[in-house]
Amino acid sequence: MTTPVPVLRLPKGPDPNSRGFDPNSPRYIALCRTTVATTEAAGGDEEELQQEQHARSVLRERFLRCLLAMNNKKVSDLHTPIGVQKEALIRSQDVISFTFDA
Amino acid sequence: MAMRQTPLTCSGHTRPVVDLAFSGITPFGYFLISACKDGKPMLRQGDTGDWIGTFLGHKGAVWGATLNMDATKAATAAADFTAKVWDSVSGDEVLSLAHKHIVKSVNFTQDSNHLLTAGNDKLLRIFDLSNTDAAPQEIAGHGAAIKKALWCNDDKQILSAADDKTVRLWDRTSMEEVKTLTFNTSVSSMEYMADGEILVITYGKTIAFYNALSLELIKIAEAPAPINSASLHPEKDFFVAGGEDFKLYKFDYSTQEELESYKGHFGPVHCVRFSPDGELYASGSEDGTLRLWQTAVGKTYGLWKCVLPEDLGADNSEQMYGTTPEIKA
Repeated sequence: MTTPVPVLRLPKGPDPNSRGFDPNSPRYIALCRTTVATTEAAGGDEEELQQEQHARSVLRERFLRCLLAMNNKKVSDLHTPIGVQKEALIRSQDVISFTFDA
Repeated sequence: MAMRQTPLTCSGHTRPVVDLAFSGITPFGYFLISACKDGKPMLRQGDTGDWIGTFLGHKGAVWGATLNMDATKAATAAADFTAKVWDSVSGDEVLSLAHKHIVKSVNFTQDSNHLLTAGNDKLLRIFDLSNTDAAPQEIAGHGAAIKKALWCNDDKQILSAADDKTVRLWDRTSMEEVKTLTFNTSVSSMEYMADGEILVITYGKTIAFYNALSLELIKIAEAPAPINSASLHPEKDFFVAGGEDFKLYKFDYSTQEELESYKGHFGPVHCVRFSPDGELYASGSEDGTLRLWQTAVGKTYGLWKCVLPEDLGADNSEQMYGTTPEIKA
């Protein structure tokens, strides 16, 4: 008579709402060069910290406006694998990634 | 008391899983990447199978996937005629390398600076990842689609297996063919083990082991069914194989004797790989799942929990899971 090896739980499956790569995981925090931590102002330089926080909130706002501008974007001459579409509407859920040249 | 193997099923893919690769052992453990015909390769924690993320961007079936040694980069080969390089910490696509046909295989050098690709256009390509504007070096010679291409001999040579029923060894500097092995049938898979320079090749029901430098045959084993993939344990005491009869087979490497066979998958097994520490092996199947199997059945490791005879009892039943429905099938 054999007993099956017990397991603590089953492997976690994908999150249906995200592509994963949790930015709060220890590996991400340790290795991801894109995370910009708040500078530790030794001695508590309040003014510098305030300025940095203000700059961060401006950048966040700009990023959010950028996302809103991408939402339901009407484009013309869209190049697709099946040909060039004269007119098209790109919905926000269609976008996987976007880049832009500054 | 005899313990029965409990495979851990990793779900998430919606189409057949055709390739798997483990990273080396990193300070954060080791990782597993799966290539799937659904076009969405996934990264998982190697010892638990927990999903970490999905690499989004390919527009066709992903035929090959690999991780670099420290699992900071991933590369994938797809039917959309591209090979892509990814940051495997953030999941972002870093590079897209255009090809002229379906790409089947990708492999990093040990320093992660070069990527070897191969596919249906019968060419081997070497991309310099620090100079992506430069055209890749191309090596021609195979007469049919290349299934797998791997760096070997400290990245000084390349091994390739193609549908022209040959496995060829190439010199990276001269870009010339050094040796060829010809078979009666197409090779179904090829795995290279740097430690000991061993090449594992499968074809028909055969699992063959060759010296990777000389391409001399070391030994051969026969399985009960056609085999699609095999993997040698890092300590070279076992090897595992899987194929068309949906089962996983475990063999003793020194005697080539079949030790165990395991049912579990609901479709042919396309790939099987040992983890870098040899404690488990992962299999990918036509049924769209990956399964993790223990090398030493009953040992405490990852999500498997060894239970001593005195611990077995009703009070433990809420803490641990017994058989999953699939095992009973």
